[in-house]
Amino acid sequence: MAASRPLFIPVILGTVRQGRLSEHAARFVHQEVAKRPGVETELIDIRELDLPANDEGNPVKDPRLTASVARADALVIVVPEYNHGYPGSLKHALDSNLKEYIHKAVGICGVSAGPFGGSRVIENLLPVMRELGLVTIFWDVNFSSVHNAFDPAGGLADQSYVRRVDKFLKELIWMAKVLRHGRENVSLED
Amino acid sequence: MTDGRKMNCEDCGAEMNLHAEKVDYGTDTRTGDPFDEDLGGVVEEFHTCPDCGTTKTRTAP
Repeated sequence: MAASRPLFIPVILGTVRQGRLSEHAARFVHQEVAKRPGVETELIDIRELDLPANDEGNPVKDPRLTASVARADALVIVVPEYNHGYPGSLKHALDSNLKEYIHKAVGICGVSAGPFGGSRVIENLLPVMRELGLVTIFWDVNFSSVHNAFDPAGGLADQSYVRRVDKFLKELIWMAKVLRHGRENVSLED
Repeated sequence: MTDGRKMNCEDCGAEMNLHAEKVDYGTDTRTGDPFDEDLGGVVEEFHTCPDCGTTKTRTAP
């Protein structure tokens, strides 16, 4: 029965900044996830979340985000690199949940205007993922020179990202399946 | 030891699987929970249902 349930892998767009090019990347990755058989997805735009700015942490919740993360088998986070770090708005959103992340897979897509494709923000996010209880995969997607990767309308201009995202998703889905099996069948006490 | 820690799924009734524990160090506002002196916080258990996938948490006894 468990094997017949589709995986649920939402894609989180991790910035609220005006003019964000990460939105193109997130929409593209979301499209690619949606093509996978046996996988359901949704795009979570943190700009649309109702999270107060006068409090922080696990007690502050957007019910839609919490429900999506609780249902998820894995997460994709699409995150731009701002001054070598991650947007505070993304951290605020991630911190609004805690128990919902345990033993679930996560893959990170970094986005930058420069040549390194968000590699520094990915490295900075890894310890956060670990503390949240998420399990990271060893594939990333690095959207470097993002203004060249997409056309102004958001269409994919650099087709090499199709294969890059394919490899990334294969690994993420494998990890999601393994962790679902573990959550449901492998006891801590055995 | 394990039998006393089993939970049944509230949604479908199946026996759930205990797959994780995590220490909650923010105990200052949780005076009603059992504090684990050795670990320095309150231990939360994570149980997931093998039939429907529901996950529930509870404070470890």
